[in-house]
Amino acid sequence: MSATRDQGDDGIARFRTRLLAAMMVLVSAAAVSMLILTQRNVATSVRRDFQRDFESQLASLQAVQEVRHAVIAERCRQLARKPRIHAALEDGALDLLYPSARDELVDATNSDEGAFREPGAYALRARYYRFLDGKGRVIAPPNAKDVGDLGAADESRLSTGQLPDRPQIGYIRRDLGGDGHMVDELIAMPIVSSESGEPIAAIVLGFKPPALGGSAASGVSGGIWLDGHLDFPTLADEARSDLETRLAPAIAESDGDHGHFEFSSGKDSFLVFFKRLNPLSPYPPAFEVSVLSLAESLAQQHRLAWEFASVGALVLGFAFLASHILSRRLSMPVERLAVDSKEHREHWHRAEAALESTSQELQRSARFSADASHQLKTPVTVLRAGLEELLAGENLRPEAREEVSALVHQTFRLASVVEDLLLLSRMDAGRLQIQLSSINLTPLFEALMDDVGAMPDLFDLDIDADVPPALWVKGEKGYVSLILQNLLENARKYNLTKGKIRIAAIEDEGWAVISIGNTGPAIPKASQEHIFERFHRGAVGENVPGHGIGLNLARELARLHGGDLRLSKSDDSWTEFELRLLLAPAPAPKKGAT
Amino acid sequence: MIALHPAAVFAEASVEGRVTLPKPAHPPVMNQRYGIISHEGVLSPYPPLAVVYLEGTFATTPPQKPAQMVQRELNFFPNILPIVVGTKVEFPNQDDVYHNIFSYSPAKRFDLGRYRSDERPIPSEVFDVAGMVTLRCDIHEHMRAIILVLDTPHYVLTDPEGVFTLKGLPPGKYVLKAWVDSRTTLEKPVELTDGPALHVDFP
Repeated sequence: MSATRDQGDDGIARFRTRLLAAMMVLVSAAAVSMLILTQRNVATSVRRDFQRDFESQLASLQAVQEVRHAVIAERCRQLARKPRIHAALEDGALDLLYPSARDELVDATNSDEGAFREPGAYALRARYYRFLDGKGRVIAPPNAKDVGDLGAADESRLSTGQLPDRPQIGYIRRDLGGDGHMVDELIAMPIVSSESGEPIAAIVLGFKPPALGGSAASGVSGGIWLDGHLDFPTLADEARSDLETRLAPAIAESDGDHGHFEFSSGKDSFLVFFKRLNPLSPYPPAFEVSVLSLAESLAQQHRLAWEFASVGALVLGFAFLASHILSRRLSMPVERLAVDSKEHREHWHRAEAALESTSQELQRSARFSADASHQLKTPVTVLRAGLEELLAGENLRPEAREEVSALVHQTFRLASVVEDLLLLSRMDAGRLQIQLSSINLTPLFEALMDDVGAMPDLFDLDIDADVPPALWVKGEKGYVSLILQNLLENARKYNLTKGKIRIAAIEDEGWAVISIGNTGPAIPKASQEHIFERFHRGAVGENVPGHGIGLNLARELARLHGGDLRLSKSDDSWTEFELRLLLAPAPAPKKGAT
Repeated sequence: MIALHPAAVFAEASVEGRVTLPKPAHPPVMNQRYGIISHEGVLSPYPPLAVVYLEGTFATTPPQKPAQMVQRELNFFPNILPIVVGTKVEFPNQDDVYHNIFSYSPAKRFDLGRYRSDERPIPSEVFDVAGMVTLRCDIHEHMRAIILVLDTPHYVLTDPEGVFTLKGLPPGKYVLKAWVDSRTTLEKPVELTDGPALHVDFP
C-alpha cells in the first residue's frame, strides 16, 4: 500500500514537473524570442543611428568643405578678374603676368611676411600658383621662388589640357624625396576674357588639403585616395595599406562617385565611406575616404547584448518562479483527482478481484453441476432399464425381486436429483429461459395434493389447504409446479408423526402469497440463513432422505419468476415458508383451458 | 623740315566721306555709359566711331597743350582719343573715388598708381610710340579706353554716322586709313590734289 502511495506521489511529482517544464518552455520561448527580436531591433537601430550619425557628420564635414571650396573659388575668381592680369593676358604683356599676379596674390600665397595669423586663414593660403595658357599648358614663371617652388614634373601635372570653363578641383601627390610625399589640393580657375567671354587662360593654385575627417572624439577620421595611394595620417600603417588594397576594387565597382563598405584590419572594424572630391574634373580622380571605427559601436552592441542577457536571465528567473507557482496551483486539482482516482481504483480492483474469484467459483460449481448431471443422467437411465429388465425376468427369487424393486425406486430418486442438478446448472450458466404466462395455481395445488396423497404416507399427515378458487400468477407452469412440489415435499419430509401441513394462498398488493407450513422441529437459528444454500441439509434431518438442493432450487426458480421464497417462521412446533409470485390477470378466453 | 614739304605749306587738299560703321553686335549690357565695349576679343567704341587718318611721312609736332583723358562717373571721357606721337595726355580724376590708370599695351606701359581728384599735378604720360594703347583702371575693372597714338597730324574722328572731313592736307599720294576697332583698320590709297574735296567712302 505504501509502495503504491509512493508510486502515486511519484506520478504526481512527475506530472507537476512536466507541467512546470512545459510552462517553462513556453514562457522561455516567448521571453527569449521577444528578447531576441527586441535585441535585434535595438541592435539594428543602434547600427542605423550610428551610421546616420556618421553620415550626418560626413555631410556637415562636406558642407564645411564645400564652403571652403566656395570661398577659395570666389577668391580665385576675384584674382582672375584682376584688371592687371587681364591686361597682361589680353594686351600682350605676358612678361608682366607673374609680376602683376605677385602683387595681387601677395596675401593669398603662403608667405610668412605679412601673413595675418588667423586660424583657418592658413588653409586659404596657396602653396604655389601657376598660370595656364590658352591651351591649358603651364606658363613658366620667370622666378619660381615668387610663385612657390614646384618640380618640373609636378608643374606639368597642373595642366588641364583643354581650358576648363568653370573652376576645377584636383589633387596631386608630390614626392618630397625619400618616403615623404605631400598631397596638394588644386583649384584651377579659368580666366575669362572680358573681350571674348572665352577662357583665355587659367590660374591654378595649390593648397594644403583640409584636414579631412572629424575630431578624434567622434571616431571619424579621413584621408585621400589618389592615384592608387591612400594618404591617411591617422590610420596605422598596416590598416592603411589594407584599406588601400580594398579601396581600388571598391571604387571600381562603385558608380565612380561614392560608396561605402565595412572593413576590418586586424582586430579593428571600420565603416568606410568614400566620395569623389573632384567630380567631372580634368584632374585625376581623388576620393575622400572617411573611416569610422566601429569599436565604439561594437562596444555599445556588446554592452547592449549583456544588458539583454541579464534582463533575459531576470525574466527567465521570474518566469520560472511564476511557472512554478502556477504549475503548483494548476496541478492541485489534478493531484486531488489523482488521489481520488487512486482510491477508487483500489476499491475497484478489490471488488473486481472478489468478483473474479466469485465468478470463478460459480463457474466451477456450475460446470461441476452440469457435468455431474450429464454424466449421471445416462448411467441412471441405463441402470434403471437394466433393473427393470431384471425385474421382468422369470427366474428371480421373491426376496431378490423386492430388493431390485427398491433399487428401481432409488433410480427414480437419483434421476430426480440429476434432473434438479441439471436445472440448477442451467440456471447458473444463465441458460435457463422461462416463458412467462398466466397460470392458475389452484389446479396445480389440486394436482399436487393428489400426488402427495398417492405417496406412501410415513407420518400419517393431515394436509389442510386454503386456496382461492382461482389464483392467476405469472410463470411457467412446469417450474412453478416444481417450486410447489419441492416445498410440499419438504413439508412432508421434515414433519412429525401425525403432524400437519397447511397450504394457504392469498392475494396481497400485486403478489400471490403462498404459505406452506408444517409441524416439526425448529430449524436452529444458526442454520436458518443457510437453508437456501445449495447442498445444505438441516442437522436434524440426517435420517431424512434428500439431497439438499430442493430449497435452493425452489428459491432460484421463484426469483427467476420475479418473486421470492423465504422462511417466514420456524419455532418449536411450526415451520412455514412463504412464496411470493407476481399476480397475473386472468386470461378470460383461456380460463377453461388451464 | 618745312622745306621738304612745300605742298604742306602752300597748298591744301581735303578729303571727305563716310565710314560705314559696324552695327554694334549688342549694346552694352551693364552700363550705357560704357565707352568701349568688347565683343569676341574686339574692342570698339560705343556708340561706334571711327578714326580716319592719312598715313604718310609727315612732320609731327606734339601740341603744346596736353590732351586730356578724364575719369568721370567711373568711365573714361572720351572713350577713344586719337593723338599724335609725342603728345602729353593728362588723366584728371573727376570722381570722388580713387582711380589707378595703367596700361600694359606694348605701345605704352605705364602705371599712374592710385590717386584722387585732388592729385596735383594731374598725372600725365607722354605717348611717343605709335600704336593702340588700352587704358584700364586697376580698381574698376570695367573701365576701358583707347588712345590711338598716330604718326600723322592728319586725323579726324567721324561723327556717329561715320561722316568725316579732313582738311588742310598736302597734295600727293597717300594711304587713307580708317580705324574702326581694335582689330579693324580699313585703308584706301588716295591721291590728293588742290581743288574740290576728294570723296572717299569706307569700305
